Amino acid sequence: MADTFPINVWINEERYEKLRAAGLGQMAQEMLAGLKVLRVPTNEQQRDEILKKYPMAKYDSATTKSIELLPRDVKDKIFDLIIQKKSVDVMGEFLKA
Amino acid sequence: MSEIGHGGKQIVERILDPQTAKEKIKNLKKVPVREQMAVEVIDLAYGFFSPLQGFLGKADVESVCKKMRLKDGTVWSIPIVFDISDKEIADYGVKEGESILLTYKDSPVAVFDVEEIYSYNKQEMAKDVYGTNDEKHPGVKLTNNFKDKFLGGKITMVSKPIINPPFTEFLLTPLEMRKKIKEKGWVRSVAHQTRNVPHTGHEWLMKGSWLSAYGELPVEKMIVGVIVNAIIGEKRPGDYIDEAIVLCHDVLRKAGYFREDVHLTSISLWDMRYAGPREAVFHAALRANLGITHHMFGRDHAGVGTYYDPYDAHRIFDQFSEKDLNIKPVRVLEWWYCPICAEVTYMGLCNHKDKIQNFSGTLIRSIIQDGVKPPRLIFRPEVFDLIEECAQKYGMGSAYVTKEYIANRNPVFTFPKL
Repeated sequence: MADTFPINVWINEERYEKLRAAGLGQMAQEMLAGLKVLRVPTNEQQRDEILKKYPMAKYDSATTKSIELLPRDVKDKIFDLIIQKKSVDVMGEFLKA
Repeated sequence: MSEIGHGGKQIVERILDPQTAKEKIKNLKKVPVREQMAVEVIDLAYGFFSPLQGFLGKADVESVCKKMRLKDGTVWSIPIVFDISDKEIADYGVKEGESILLTYKDSPVAVFDVEEIYSYNKQEMAKDVYGTNDEKHPGVKLTNNFKDKFLGGKITMVSKPIINPPFTEFLLTPLEMRKKIKEKGWVRSVAHQTRNVPHTGHEWLMKGSWLSAYGELPVEKMIVGVIVNAIIGEKRPGDYIDEAIVLCHDVLRKAGYFREDVHLTSISLWDMRYAGPREAVFHAALRANLGITHHMFGRDHAGVGTYYDPYDAHRIFDQFSEKDLNIKPVRVLEWWYCPICAEVTYMGLCNHKDKIQNFSGTLIRSIIQDGVKPPRLIFRPEVFDLIEECAQKYGMGSAYVTKEYIANRNPVFTFPKL
């Protein structure tokens, strides 16, 4: 899937431990002077669905072109799915759930 | 010494002394106003909107909408209007040629000499000013919500508002700001418009525009300043609380990211219209009245959504001469993080375009929300810590505007009872 409108799941200590335990420590990219992040791709339809489902989230169309401000617990669920699937291409399944 | 503001006119405060005010307001019909109008009265009376002396009449509104100039030719981009309903006109007995007393939260605010009562096509006004009639545009929404009639005429404030903590030291009127600039010995200054808690992208916008404004001047003693001028006005849920915006900007200097002799934090009261290029021109006039010589304009200045091209607010200044605007625009591109340069760097310099990492206030908020502390290269730790302090002290636990904050916050200003 084209990485068109990513959701940035920033890796805090708790998430890093889970990644490491699952042997996925290398999956995170490095961004912004040392932060670790999983960039979860979404297509346009998924983006719109997410913004509708979570009205507090925002698509930063001006600068980063990414979906931001999803609540932490929602991102935790996306993160758990990534660990389970060992892939960041999880949004289709996440939205079906 | 006279202080010349926007349009080449002297800045004159329109405020009555207390004794005259008491006499003058006796027997005047009282008309209560909403916060936006109280704010605009303050701006008019102190000269933030100089050369305006009151709310615009129809001919000026038309000229501003169609030509971006007052009818005397002075550049003016956003109509400053006083809307009122037919019912209010009847209930309060408002008549042309008579004065009324504007009140806010039951306190007297200003004498309004009503010269004209008129109608104006609001759809046309919105289209001219904002370039759209889309209700999703906040300026269009505000215009459509205006009541059906407008009053034009001069206003004179009857008492000075009390600016409440923590904003007291930051609200400098045009005359006070000009005095402050002289005290600091600045021969030039550059305005930074903000509604955000600063990240290092903002910091570099300020530093870069300071270097631009400094130009050929001698550097043994710093004689150019950055003036952060935060717009304090209507808040929307999810915005940073005003207290965090102002105090976090100020902490950049207190923590040494700016020298004491080159940086000043201040506020102006205004409900943003998000008019993009027209709002940029309005901001230029406002800051010219504050005595500031340069104004930084970044990408998508005062824009919203995709209504304006990101650099419309740069190009609009091409049509004005130096005589038109008593302030020089400093046009800047983006600052971004480049992992190859390993620094926050400038779009006009860095040639690793396929590697760059953009960041925004929203992105940083997302990082923090995920329980991660952003690196100091992106977000200063002093700002990070102060946001939390502001959340506890002013935001009822949140650094972002909530319904509870809007309902219960300490007001920015209050008018005393006479």
